[in-house]
Amino acid sequence: MMDFINFYLVPGITLGAIYALGAVGVSMIFGILRFAHFAHGDLMTVGAYFGLSAVWLLGIPALAAIPIAVALTCLVALFADRAFYKPLRQLPTIYTVIASFGVALIFRSVVQLVWGTESQVYSVGFQKPIVLFDSLRIATRHIQIILATAAITLGLHWFLHHTQMGKTMRAVSDDPALASVAGLDPEKTIRWTWIIGAGLAAIAGVFVGLDTDVHTMMGWNLLLPMFAAALLGGIGKPLGAIAGGLIIGIAEEICTYPFFGESLISPSYKSAIAFVIMLLILIFRPRGLFKGRLL
Amino acid sequence: MKKPILAVALSALLAAQAGFAAAEDVKVGTIMGITGPLANFIPPILNAAKLAEADVNAGGGILGGGNFELVVADGQAAAQPSVDAATKLVNLENVAAVMGALSSGATIAAANAVTIPNGVLQVSPTATSPSMTDMDDGDFLYRIVPSDNYQGEVLAKIVLDEGIDRVAVAYVNNDYGVGIAGTFKENFEKLGGTITGYEKHEDKKNSYRGELATLANGDPQALVLIAYAGGSGAKIVKQSLEAGLFDRFIGTDGLRDDLLIEQVGPEALATSFFSAPTSPAENPAGEALHTRFDEVYGEGSDKPFVDQSYDATMLIALAIEKAGSTDRTAIKDALRFVANAPGEIVGPGEWEKAVKLLAEGKDINYEGAAGSHEFDENGDVAGFIGKFVVDGDSYKQVAIFE
Repeated sequence: MMDFINFYLVPGITLGAIYALGAVGVSMIFGILRFAHFAHGDLMTVGAYFGLSAVWLLGIPALAAIPIAVALTCLVALFADRAFYKPLRQLPTIYTVIASFGVALIFRSVVQLVWGTESQVYSVGFQKPIVLFDSLRIATRHIQIILATAAITLGLHWFLHHTQMGKTMRAVSDDPALASVAGLDPEKTIRWTWIIGAGLAAIAGVFVGLDTDVHTMMGWNLLLPMFAAALLGGIGKPLGAIAGGLIIGIAEEICTYPFFGESLISPSYKSAIAFVIMLLILIFRPRGLFKGRLL
Repeated sequence: MKKPILAVALSALLAAQAGFAAAEDVKVGTIMGITGPLANFIPPILNAAKLAEADVNAGGGILGGGNFELVVADGQAAAQPSVDAATKLVNLENVAAVMGALSSGATIAAANAVTIPNGVLQVSPTATSPSMTDMDDGDFLYRIVPSDNYQGEVLAKIVLDEGIDRVAVAYVNNDYGVGIAGTFKENFEKLGGTITGYEKHEDKKNSYRGELATLANGDPQALVLIAYAGGSGAKIVKQSLEAGLFDRFIGTDGLRDDLLIEQVGPEALATSFFSAPTSPAENPAGEALHTRFDEVYGEGSDKPFVDQSYDATMLIALAIEKAGSTDRTAIKDALRFVANAPGEIVGPGEWEKAVKLLAEGKDINYEGAAGSHEFDENGDVAGFIGKFVVDGDSYKQVAIFE
């Protein structure tokens, strides 16, 4: 039982938290700008590398580098929106979707150019986990990641329900025509969508680096589960995306637990879990758990 | 009357041009995993290939003074990107032959999809998977490291010699991992060892704690880990140590990456050891090459697969010179002639001498820095496997098996 918690459940929640933070941006951009942002994974990579530079240059721990990573990644996202997505805003969204593929490649290539292609870590060596009650072993960084994600979820909930901008975002996501008739400023809403999406992506990127390592394909590899999480939660529902991320992360990790003496599935099929959940959701509940927009 | 004169003049001009064109520029493609899990290995390997390129050009060029150019493409050490890279090299760059790819999965994919159907010679400096031996390759695919049939056998012996007879095996799910894990398991059990757990995993995941917890059951003394350090390897070692599941690791050439020491620290790897294809112990030609390598690039001649990369490039250049043209089939047919005995022995850095011998119609036998490279009928070579331990921020060879 303790094995289950130590080696399957806690890593699952950690992974889920990372998916969740990335999926919020995917879901909000999908809801408000109406396109699938394929560069979101690579935006995460960019954030993780900004964090790496801050760690190198200032000698601070990775967690302290998060504000710097967030700020710089937001600037990158706003620039990408201005330069690449805004000119295509009036065209059918498929143009923007394809453009986002291009932007993903640009991000990745620039990262490879600036920081190199080798994988890096924020700190060398390994930490022994904290042992609680003699049997519960949790790595400090997992506690940090899980608590930070919980705090971000609460903050996001408050923002969406108690601030003018949060309410505007939900309104635009639910019914864009009505929102614009009501005189809500679409460009300002879009700016804030990018700031939140990119900020959370940067945090998720630093978390991945903290948990494992930083490399140029890290975000791209996480893109599929992030989309699955956004669909599972319901498009345009940020809190749904968080729930979806956690469910997919936990499902991916615990599916290899030997419940009946034998693993349910071979660990080499872990990645397929996100696919399967995404397909089932699209077939049986296309609006997701939190009743998001139909695609 | 005018016409024939013109025709004669034209043909004379053409003949002159043909004579000039005999000094032909030659492009050879190389597929390297510049990004992806092998990224950390690449810089010295690529430098070695470039050194061979420079040696050919400094030694008078290829095909009568032509420029020998290496075209580099990124295969990301994965199947599909390597197929794309090979397609680009073969169809767009129109290369005479291909050096690469590095990982077995990438090499097999590129060979099956591109080089074999197009009839292009491909020589991998590093691909070790046993499944390459019996591939239906029309004799176009070669490698200059021994098959993992051999490394698996040696590794089983090394492990038992250390007094370890119960191990768990974690291997990455690709041609490389599946191949060597299979031969290791077979040999280890045959020699009386016990495999307590045997599980494959997917590259590129963030957590392997679940698999490791399962593998730690059954009281194994160490974890045999067959994976690329930059892919899943370093993560697995780190997560095992953190969770206290394993503290001793046995790796193969994919794990023997300085990156592993960088990320985990040398203290934690003090009892771990590694097997990898290596160069012969006493080889003056190899040592001379290393000295030159370090003079040109500053450092790195002791890194993995530097010798193999140089030799593979050099062998391709010699085969082209022997073929006398960039005809792809002729190049393939010439490879065994320049690589295998009999023949006058030429070594690294002896391009000029080799060209002269070939021009005189003599048979040559290239003996490289990494070994003598005698290809058998499958395009495989016999070779050397070394045992390595961690020494500071790199690795030290402590034993060699032939």
